[in-house]
Amino acid sequence: MANSAAVLSMYDEPMWESIRAHDWHLQQCDDCSEWRYPPGPCCPKCLSPRSTWRPLSGRGEIASWVVFHRQYFDNWPPPYNVVAVKLAEGPLVISNLTGPEPEGSWIGRPVEVAYGTDAAGTLLPQMRLAE
Amino acid sequence: MTARDLARVGAVIGVGESDYVGDHARVRAGEKPADSYGYAADAFRAALADAGIGRDEIDGLIVGPTLAYERTGEILGINPRWGGQADAMLAVIEACMAIRSGLAEVVALVYGNDQRSAAIQYGGPEAMGGNMFLSYVYHAPWGFTSQGALYAMMFRRFGELTGCTERDLGEVAVAQRHAASLNPHALMRKPITIEDYMAARYICEPLRLFDYCLINDGGVVLIIAEAERARKMARKAPVLIHGVGRSDLNRGATSLEPRLLEFYRPAQEACAAQVYAMAGVGPEDMSALQIYDSFSCHVPFALEGYGYCRPGDVGRFMREDGIGLGGRIPVNTGGGHLSESYMQGWAHQVEAVRQVRGECGARQVAARGAGDSRFVHYNSDVAGKAVSIIYGS
Ligand SMILES: [Zn+2]
Repeated sequence: MANSAAVLSMYDEPMWESIRAHDWHLQQCDDCSEWRYPPGPCCPKCLSPRSTWRPLSGRGEIASWVVFHRQYFDNWPPPYNVVAVKLAEGPLVISNLTGPEPEGSWIGRPVEVAYGTDAAGTLLPQMRLAE
Repeated sequence: MTARDLARVGAVIGVGESDYVGDHARVRAGEKPADSYGYAADAFRAALADAGIGRDEIDGLIVGPTLAYERTGEILGINPRWGGQADAMLAVIEACMAIRSGLAEVVALVYGNDQRSAAIQYGGPEAMGGNMFLSYVYHAPWGFTSQGALYAMMFRRFGELTGCTERDLGEVAVAQRHAASLNPHALMRKPITIEDYMAARYICEPLRLFDYCLINDGGVVLIIAEAERARKMARKAPVLIHGVGRSDLNRGATSLEPRLLEFYRPAQEACAAQVYAMAGVGPEDMSALQIYDSFSCHVPFALEGYGYCRPGDVGRFMREDGIGLGGRIPVNTGGGHLSESYMQGWAHQVEAVRQVRGECGARQVAARGAGDSRFVHYNSDVAGKAVSIIYGS
């Protein structure tokens, strides 16, 4: 086994830099204002190559969740959860819910970004329940 | 625009498989019976014998994604006038396209995979397929890996929205295991109950052990010929390819939007419209349904997406109307990836052909078409690429 690793294309590097600064940024299209995830060379909506890295509000709601019971990475001993979160800006992202967990269904629960780490200490944008 | 008609252009004249059961026993005992090419060669010899033709009749060659094209042709001694590489479902469609265009008349579709003995990993740091599908590796920093987890995330939301429960999902594993118990080529033949299913451990909750496909070595070959020539040359009655369909969802694929927010439904519906129109038959005419099932939940998604039950009703449909042999629509009648053999969709084509021919013994499905004709529908939705094929007499 080994630790998990991020995919680091030339477009991903600025995102991870912003995460290390506890201020998660994504690209926003200069021409149609669409937010882009994952980072990439042009806007899938209008094909414009022009974009600006902007900070996210950090707010969203849970679209789905799972709990891993099998180990695939050294830095992720089970059990642990993974959530899909629809960000207020539009993109759907994958993260982990930290802190208290909801009773019953998690779907539709509002969350906000809470920076945390995996078992190896790598910083990640994770989520916690919001008011 | 509709697809130019590929209906009844090609027919399957021969099918062959490696010895899944015998080879699996040897692999588990620490042996290496063959590599991917060796399994492919086993299946090729079997397919030629099934068709009753000689190798020199073949003028087209398509190899699966795990085989190198040239080396496969070299090992099997085939110099075709047309060839290529494709997964199981696209190989069938491309063979029909080549035949329709006159580029080939008798096409061998060849697959071999030593994934078990070669210890291929589908999750974790060396996840297979990450070079083709970014979603398979992109979310690893959050511990999110393996295609099973992607389907667990998808089924969780689907179940919450439609009321399809984990227990309802268990119908898939139970029905397919029962079918496998009647299939001498299947690896997992011990019947299970819903209680066995519910008692099994979670791998990625809400999916359990029995929701995951097995991993084994093997090879599969189909021989598809131009329909007129098929009637003259084949030892057995040819199985016609009555229609094909395809529709892809690539937008938002890595962020999982079409998977989690649409359950690939738009692709399935577009694919269904194309394949039913081309074949001139619909869900009510099918004797059986073969579904690409790396994970059990492919089945409920497909049942709704291809019009076998009302949207939102699949939990009740599987529980009450039934998807096993004798049910409303028998699904994966050989046991599928969950219980027969994980041949990445290739063995499903073989099972469809054998069901149309009426060769399936204790697991044989009944005719529903006019006269004694049988139709079997295959479909897949791997990573949002919806593909359908309808086989029939
Ligand atoms: Zn744009």
